[in-house]
Amino acid sequence: MQIRLKCTCREEECREWSIIELQGVVESHPSLGEHLQNLEIGRLCCVSEGNYTFTVGYHELSGTKMALKKPLVVLKKKKVGDACESDSSDSSGVELEVIGIIRHRILFKTRPKALISKPLVKDKKNLNDLKS
Amino acid sequence: MEVQQKREGWDGQAEASLSLTPGSSIPICYHSQFGSHDDLLLLEVDDKLLPDVLGNRVSIRGQPDEDAVLCTLSSTYVMKFVRTSNSVFLIPPGDSIPTMKTTSANGEMSTSVVASAITVAPGNIELIQAAPKLDKLKELLSQKPYNLEEDLHGSSVHKAGLHRWQDLVEMIQASEEEIRAALMSLSAVEVDGYWRIVDDKTMYETLDMILRNSVLHDWQISALSEDCVLSTMEADGFPPWIVSHCLETHGSKVYGSNDTLWRLDEKRVCLRFALRVLSGGKMKLESFMDKWEQSIPSGMKADLKMLEGEVLYDKFGVEEWIRVFSVSTLPSNPANRFAALFRERQKWEWKDLEPYIRDIHVPGLSSEGLLIKYTRRTQPNAEAEPIFSSRYT
Repeated sequence: MQIRLKCTCREEECREWSIIELQGVVESHPSLGEHLQNLEIGRLCCVSEGNYTFTVGYHELSGTKMALKKPLVVLKKKKVGDACESDSSDSSGVELEVIGIIRHRILFKTRPKALISKPLVKDKKNLNDLKS
Repeated sequence: MEVQQKREGWDGQAEASLSLTPGSSIPICYHSQFGSHDDLLLLEVDDKLLPDVLGNRVSIRGQPDEDAVLCTLSSTYVMKFVRTSNSVFLIPPGDSIPTMKTTSANGEMSTSVVASAITVAPGNIELIQAAPKLDKLKELLSQKPYNLEEDLHGSSVHKAGLHRWQDLVEMIQASEEEIRAALMSLSAVEVDGYWRIVDDKTMYETLDMILRNSVLHDWQISALSEDCVLSTMEADGFPPWIVSHCLETHGSKVYGSNDTLWRLDEKRVCLRFALRVLSGGKMKLESFMDKWEQSIPSGMKADLKMLEGEVLYDKFGVEEWIRVFSVSTLPSNPANRFAALFRERQKWEWKDLEPYIRDIHVPGLSSEGLLIKYTRRTQPNAEAEPIFSSRYT
């Protein structure tokens, strides 16, 4: 059987997706279960050209934007249910449509840096001032 | 406020995530429709292949029990799913108008651009160029080879076991160009919309009759008039298409004249007669040569070089014998080909082995590479011929 790869856009028009890639797993609070929709994962900040930080909770990751060696094409599997919709050569009843392309990813490979809150201990000079 | 979504648009604002300027930041959120989205696949595509993928010239072929292959018009690629242990957040592009979304991550209501991930991708599919899988083509076409009896008894041929071009494309894991090349090398022919191979007996009888007619009518076999041959043969009960196919298989068109002329090729004609002589089984080499030389058209010279890849020689005592062993009956898949060759003979000299592996083409593997992968090479001393045996005993 044959599954055609359908694409209605041309190369210039193909919508670009992006990837944020972390070495590890983002854990949400157990009470949330699967209801993650609309919640913030973290904040992506551009530090300098090509360099980024991604802050998740109190962890800060450092990463870079890189071009993929080989672009990734995003495919969506579709059932071709309607007889008149399907191509004569689409015997499988399944079609794959190109819905986007990915040329870059922002990859975070470093160990997360724990962002600690402001130090509680004042420096010695001030302490002495207070004392006296 | 929310912008009306397009048909497929998830409005993930990927652009915003890629175009951040130094010093700026955006929140990355789980999309309102975040989920496993098992219907999404990531396919790694070389820049060279990209125009074909985006140009609707690519399809995936295979039966449910086979590994899927991706075919362009001319090449075949194995599809391999590569898992990742990383968390790959996929962010879809935005709609044309930048969306102003409200985020309630920490209870605050703020309006700002937000990029949203629709899913975490488990991995992606890699493409590795591969040799086309053509053994099934041979199998399918060998189910019902054409023979002359078919047409003699009227067209009551059952269509079962016969295959149209479209059937072959659906069933064979190869690109269209590769399938066409294989059909040519099998000397297959399209009759009434079905692709057929012609059985050896029919090919021989047709060729033999063409040659008999050439002698009878004083035709030149280096310049046979297509019209003459076809009409004469039709009177003898041979359908025109089988005669054309015979001319095409055993000759080549002569260009530069008003009529269509055919020149019969010495090697291909002599090979056909050699196979006919050997159709009864192995023969002593001397007897074979006599019979062969007697059978070929006058003006042609028999040479054993013509039979490379079609015959094997065995030495029994002082006598040398010859028998049919045709490369066309062997599997195309390299591992299976070498297995079949070593089943036939445990040890091969290069000069005997070469004709049986010269048609194997594996992308990325040279002929040396093939030998290293599938054979063990031994050489008793520097002067002796190297011997090839199976790598796996």
